[in-house]
Amino acid sequence: MATSSRTIRDVLVVVLLLGIPLLLLRSATQDPHRLSPFDRTVRRIGGPLEAGLGYAATTVGSFFERWLLQARLQEINAEVNGENRLLRLRLRELLRVEEENRELRRSLQMRDKVAEDMLAAEVTAFEQSPFFRVLKLVLDRGDRFVLPGMAVLADTGVVGRIDRVTDDRSDVMLITDPRSKVAVEVARTRAAGILEGAGEDHCIVVVASEIPVEVGDFIQTTGVDDLFPKSHPVGRVVAVENLVGDQQRLEVLPAVRFDRLNMAWVILASAPPPDSQAELRRAQPAARGLQPLR
Amino acid sequence: MLSASLLIALGWILTAGIAGLSHAFSITLVLPATSVILLCHVAFDRERSLAAGMTMAIILGYLEDLHQGLPTGTLTLAFALVYLALSWLSLRLAVSGNIVRALTALIACLAVDLLTWGILLALADPLGISREGLRSGLRMIHWHALATMLAAPAVWGMIAGLDAFVRRRRRGTKSANPGTQLPFRH
Repeated sequence: MATSSRTIRDVLVVVLLLGIPLLLLRSATQDPHRLSPFDRTVRRIGGPLEAGLGYAATTVGSFFERWLLQARLQEINAEVNGENRLLRLRLRELLRVEEENRELRRSLQMRDKVAEDMLAAEVTAFEQSPFFRVLKLVLDRGDRFVLPGMAVLADTGVVGRIDRVTDDRSDVMLITDPRSKVAVEVARTRAAGILEGAGEDHCIVVVASEIPVEVGDFIQTTGVDDLFPKSHPVGRVVAVENLVGDQQRLEVLPAVRFDRLNMAWVILASAPPPDSQAELRRAQPAARGLQPLR
Repeated sequence: MLSASLLIALGWILTAGIAGLSHAFSITLVLPATSVILLCHVAFDRERSLAAGMTMAIILGYLEDLHQGLPTGTLTLAFALVYLALSWLSLRLAVSGNIVRALTALIACLAVDLLTWGILLALADPLGISREGLRSGLRMIHWHALATMLAAPAVWGMIAGLDAFVRRRRRGTKSANPGTQLPFRH
């Protein structure tokens, strides 16, 4: 009896409680968009809660997003660093090629500057003094191409002469070598003299002191020795010493930096003398109007 | 046993939290119905009367209605009916262990969703809801149920943790005030 009364009570409670959602639904169907004051109150209470939790979730989410982004950025950074390293290597290579190109251009311009028959040669090695001064250069041309005594030039000035020649290479005696002698003149005064090597990186030349030579004057070849082309730069005067007997002793710094030289030119033969009849031989053809193009 | 108010508060916080998470991460599909898991807990812990349990189901459903923006009473009715079914089942089945709890939550969620769908379909005209939209929404039910199943062990664990915390607090309060208890009662 007790059980059945409890069951009846439960059924009644259930029915009553089920009435609540049914009433709510009925109210919603009458006006789906209207919220009761109780609904609004509950939403007002729940709104900040939802917003607060949403904010917390957003903050946590953004933290993880930033964290992931940072990890991604680290990966990108590593990639960019690798790429940068490759680009730096390529840039270095390009700079080297550019320098080589510039040097080759300068060397090619030598053809226009110097009339003599020349042969390009690459500097393969050089010998240095204990004070890191270049004493000797080695070129990649052997006895099939060059002979001892031939002049060696660079685009910036006179280098020296071929000293010894083997099968596949040749040694260059620099103008700073004490054995070297080159006929030179002061570019400004035309005072001539013989340039002799003084060891290390200096040369000495003794000239007449009729017109005083000044520090900074340029020294160039005279061409009288039939070895070096005329008026090719040799160096610059760095010190002047007056000697007894109207003479000046000039200390000359070579124009060529031997330690930076990669390419040189060997003068194979002197330029032929200018042809005085050349203009006469090249007679202009008569203009008859219908001359075919040549 | 957790008090009804604590469970409802937890359900409200979880519902609001899920709504906030869905808003923060723009997730609309795979969201767990945490209130359904609480409903399962209420039904299967068998420590409340039918009336108390049903009242809690109605409150949880009502809160879900408000948070999900459904016509008021839809989920309330569905929760109440599913609670009745779960209470009947709890007399015959025992739910323990994470897998069984997850499966129970899955089935309960499917039942709530189907009931809600049925109620909305039945009241589509007075509520001004498109039947086509409802039919397409039915195809997404399994994602909702799956998410609920995955979240069930965590929510159940949360309830157990909260229960343990409340018990500790109660024990601590009792031992801190020994003078309030009579010695001959021990």
